[in-house]
Amino acid sequence: MDSTHSIAPASRRQFLERAGLGFGGLAASCLLAKDAMAARSNPLAAKDAPLPAKAKSVIFLFMHGGPSHLDTFDRKPLLQEYDGQPVPESFRTRDFQFTKMDKVPLLGTPRSFARYGEAGLEISDLFANVASHADDLAVIRSCHHDGFTHITGQNWMNTGWAQVGRPSLGSWIVYGLGSENENLPAYVVMLDGGIKSGSPAYGSGYLPAMYQGTVLRSEGPPILNIRRAAGADPEKQRLLLENLNWFNRRHMQDRAEDSELAARMNAYELAFRMQASAPEVADVSGESAATRALYGLEDDTTRPFGKQCLLARRMVERGVRFVQLYSGCGANGGSPGWDGHNQIDYNHETMAAQVDRPIAGLLTDLKARGLLDETLVIWGGDFGRTPFTDGAEGGARNNAGRDHNPYGFTVWMAGGGVRGGQVIGATDEIGLNAVDDKVHVHDLHATILTLLGLDHEDLTYRFQGRDFRLTDVGGQNNLAARLTAG
Amino acid sequence: MAVIAATLIALSSLALTARADISEEAVRLLQERCASCHGEVVMSGLDVRSSDALLKGGKRGPSVVPGDAAASLLYQAVLHEGDLQMPMQGGRLSEEEVRLLGAWIDAGAVWSAGLAADSGERWWSFRPVRRPAVPEDSSGWSRNAIDRFVARRLAENQLEPGGEADRRTWIRRATYDLHGLPPSPDEVRAFIEDSSPDAFENAIDRLLDSKRYGERWGRYWLDVVRYADTGGFETDIYFPDAWRYRDYVIKSFNDDKPFDQFVREQVAADEIWPDDIELRGSYDIPEEKLRHLEARIGTGLYTVGTVYHEAALNGHQLRYEWLVDAVDVTGEAFLGLTVSCARCHDHKFDPISQADYHRLMAFFEGSEIRRIPVAHKMTEFGYYSGYPRQLKVFEYQQALKALDGKVRQRMIDEISAGFDADTVAAQRVPRAKRTTAQLIAAAPLERALTEAGLLENPGGYVPELPYTPDERDRRKTLITELGEAAAEARFDLATATVLGRAEVRYPVRMTARGDWRATGDEVAPAFPGAVGDLGHAIDGKRRKLLAHWLADPQHPLVARVMVNRIWQGHFGRGLVETPNNFGRQGSAPSHPELLDWLAAEFVARGWSVKRMHKTIMLSSAYRLSSEFDPTNAAADPGNRYLWRMNRRRLAAENLRDAVLAVSGELNLKMGGRPVLPPLSAEARLGMWDRNDWPESLDPAEHKRRSVYVFAKRQFPYPMFKTFDAPDASASCGRRDVTTVAPQALTLLNSEFMLRSAQSFATRLDVESDPRRKAELAWELALARPPDPQEREAAVKMLARAGPEEFGLMLFNVNEFVYVD
Repeated sequence: MDSTHSIAPASRRQFLERAGLGFGGLAASCLLAKDAMAARSNPLAAKDAPLPAKAKSVIFLFMHGGPSHLDTFDRKPLLQEYDGQPVPESFRTRDFQFTKMDKVPLLGTPRSFARYGEAGLEISDLFANVASHADDLAVIRSCHHDGFTHITGQNWMNTGWAQVGRPSLGSWIVYGLGSENENLPAYVVMLDGGIKSGSPAYGSGYLPAMYQGTVLRSEGPPILNIRRAAGADPEKQRLLLENLNWFNRRHMQDRAEDSELAARMNAYELAFRMQASAPEVADVSGESAATRALYGLEDDTTRPFGKQCLLARRMVERGVRFVQLYSGCGANGGSPGWDGHNQIDYNHETMAAQVDRPIAGLLTDLKARGLLDETLVIWGGDFGRTPFTDGAEGGARNNAGRDHNPYGFTVWMAGGGVRGGQVIGATDEIGLNAVDDKVHVHDLHATILTLLGLDHEDLTYRFQGRDFRLTDVGGQNNLAARLTAG
Repeated sequence: MAVIAATLIALSSLALTARADISEEAVRLLQERCASCHGEVVMSGLDVRSSDALLKGGKRGPSVVPGDAAASLLYQAVLHEGDLQMPMQGGRLSEEEVRLLGAWIDAGAVWSAGLAADSGERWWSFRPVRRPAVPEDSSGWSRNAIDRFVARRLAENQLEPGGEADRRTWIRRATYDLHGLPPSPDEVRAFIEDSSPDAFENAIDRLLDSKRYGERWGRYWLDVVRYADTGGFETDIYFPDAWRYRDYVIKSFNDDKPFDQFVREQVAADEIWPDDIELRGSYDIPEEKLRHLEARIGTGLYTVGTVYHEAALNGHQLRYEWLVDAVDVTGEAFLGLTVSCARCHDHKFDPISQADYHRLMAFFEGSEIRRIPVAHKMTEFGYYSGYPRQLKVFEYQQALKALDGKVRQRMIDEISAGFDADTVAAQRVPRAKRTTAQLIAAAPLERALTEAGLLENPGGYVPELPYTPDERDRRKTLITELGEAAAEARFDLATATVLGRAEVRYPVRMTARGDWRATGDEVAPAFPGAVGDLGHAIDGKRRKLLAHWLADPQHPLVARVMVNRIWQGHFGRGLVETPNNFGRQGSAPSHPELLDWLAAEFVARGWSVKRMHKTIMLSSAYRLSSEFDPTNAAADPGNRYLWRMNRRRLAAENLRDAVLAVSGELNLKMGGRPVLPPLSAEARLGMWDRNDWPESLDPAEHKRRSVYVFAKRQFPYPMFKTFDAPDASASCGRRDVTTVAPQALTLLNSEFMLRSAQSFATRLDVESDPRRKAELAWELALARPPDPQEREAAVKMLARAGPEEFGLMLFNVNEFVYVD
């Protein structure tokens, strides 16, 4: 491909011509003639949002393992004051994975908080770089669900349901809006490692499989089977595709009515174009030194996540609808990520050091390129963490870890029309439960869909005789209007 | 959603104007869009589920004035022009739908007989099966009773049956249908040359007699019962002997086990034949006992669902989730009813109340999952031979550890070399024993080692160790040897996981919105009122009762649901298009009488699945060509009334099996532990623990049929997932068929396909003349010879791209992947 900044070629014909390959013949003789039909029958074709949309695409930064709200975006002075004391009786009503609340002491945060931006958002030093964008952030401190294990937490956040089998947020969005780029998957997930909830977290559930997330790697071949492991002889591959097309056309002669056969030929064409465009999007060598530095690519600590963030920007720039990045999967799997059951301070310091600069860089870069207005950036994780020590480690203070807490945690949003510098909702005095202006995961999802111009009650799919929706019967506390007001 | 709706209108307008029965459409629309509030729930007193109720109307008066849409409240409401605007939920009707309702009312609002029952009457699928009289067909098209029903529906809708498929097409279709494999060139030739009047019947018999049949149809059933080898969720626990249930299913189909017996065995074999099947110590097991043991493995159905098994979960919750799974799978697999909604509330559309749901649950109350031995004493672990094998495993483990330790130490030494002696000395002191001064001195080195991943690593960074080429080879050998030693040393007792009587009984209680923390009244087992007890008193062992009730010849659902599944396996679509939903939200049968005739025939012929296949496959309907016909298509674009055969894409497993078969690599070994074909490092990405796919050691295993491939809920075999295999989270009655680019990438670039293309090329080597090569390739892959032009193109490609690329191309053509 030529320069890295060239966005996908304007038309398929142009691409085919430029690629100078045998598919040109295919396109001219058969497929382009069927373009009109294909467009009608291609469920992934871009669709106008039914409601006024603020955002066109989403970058969801998922802190795998569950980041602590108490050490990052939700300062609790009272917790600090009662550090080491037993959990007050009145709070002892919750179930946790490892902890019994009457057995453990409260745990203050070792981090220091400061006020940032004109609005004076309180953010801890773990996110000192992100904090410089305080006036772009809307911090939602009253999120909650009830999945206190990783799988249920990740399922809730991604699919709006604790059990496996529901479509993920990205699938719903692509189902509703289609794809803006015909050369790349509409829904991309980057996890250099594995996630605990596995592929269902970006699966399409009962929606057709075409809406599932595609895993894109930041190193090596970006997409599974995008090219042959042993390398292919381009001339041979050209012959293969040319012949394939020729035989398929003959086969189609008596079967011209079958749009599925035509769709299959289209899929080969897309696959062929992806072979060029996926490596192109993943190749950051043409990015300027300043840009690379912005994302922390020169530093071993920040490079892996920085690369993901940079690729995310390159993808939304090319019209990818939904990009999800995972921090803390571990290159060889089995990493606890943000799961600070013990020594949470050390854990979070390590993890935040990997993501703080890249995320800040992403926000800066999106803004500089005028993309932030139409790109909704979301930060969150499986859940938050407990304001008391982790019971599995005996609750001992020298371990100073925190258990999972789905009952009150923080998610922030930026861009996509969201007015920054605001805080929505609050947890109780110790940060255990969301109490003020509670925002259930369904509400979060309803908000995200609305920002994209989709009505969460109308976006339904008939399955098992029922119209299912992402937000089940919830989503009443839709924040979209408040987030975008003013 | 407006855009989606608009697209749908664009697509459906074609269909609608030509739709044969407008009243059917209208009634269906009412049901889909209005009945959730104006049905069971009867808001504003309006019930749209029957003609009478609609005419009577609700609080506002009659909702329909037959013959005058403009004067009808219903029409005014959906127009959204007055103050009454309906529907309240799910968005307004599309213009086309509004027009449809208007036209229907203008035409007299005639109620479609085939669809909805009057409110007093039972829903069609709950009514007893009545064997209908077989209609006449004087056209000469019909070969058997099936055809006479089909012919009548075609005639009623002014459709003409299309032509017949040629024999090549038919034998390819039949072989994929019954075996999930392509016919061999010899099989095709033999069939074409068979001029006897019984040629078709003989071919069907041959296919049904083959063990390949059970592997294909067993797979269908495994979809229906959400089979997998692991429990899913974070722990994704391995079910070490789930494969016995899988093998039981395959064998049951191969044996043509009567379906009623198949049902009874899976639901309650242990209660129906409560033998003492303690096999230890007995060397001579009576055959009857062995049969009962096999039957009991059928109850494995209730042991292979998802297991919400994670740390610190409440046992009561686990048990409740198990009961929910048991009821859901029973509902979908046997009753064809999606009952899961009733876990939390009364079913909005079907007459399954929350109480019914819990009563069904109570049938499973006294049951629990058990692991039982299925081998006798002689096959158990031999202490003297087993112990040395264990030692061998240990030795390899130690050797591996030592090797890694050596390399890590080398790295530590290299890093340490950059620090002064004091620092290194301080760091060498175990951390707990360091003095404060040593702690400070050791810190920089400690940090460097941590960053290199050589000490504790909370970030999870595990470095790729810098092995020398020799070490890498040595390590690879060690791992293989370790794997082999471990396999040798496996001394597990042969077991099966089945249902048995629970040691501790917990009563089933009514719950609030499906929350397991049940506080309601204890619930006793009872059959859903809508079906009735069919004369089975609630008395005695609970699952046994449920089993006998389900397998009762009078049961209105079980036989209908199964024959519909069989029909779907042959035509790509059931007579009821929603095989797991025969309720009000399911689709109505396209041929209600045929469905009943098949169900009656099924029961009358001893519930024989193989007979049912044969009856269907001997019909003219099954011989139809898939050829398009514009006149028929204008009247019935969806081919609902079967004027042609539906073209179908190969299912994921059949595609892989076909590639293996054509390339001459397919290993037909049956049964046993799941096999794990190789996965590239790239494909393992996204797996939580990349070691969770221990490739089968014997490469011959990699080429076994797909039904034997490890079904891991958290990480389904990527090729299957790409080609729409179900995720096994719940019963799947019918798979999606999607067409996406990753499928093309899989078939063009994956290691499996490239290896198979190589084998295919080798197989073609028996012919040296490229023209013969092309012919052989065509016969193997497409069950037909190439025409001269195709042969010429093939020869040219063979010369320019070589046989591997050529073979790969054939695996990718539409004709290979679709069955006409």
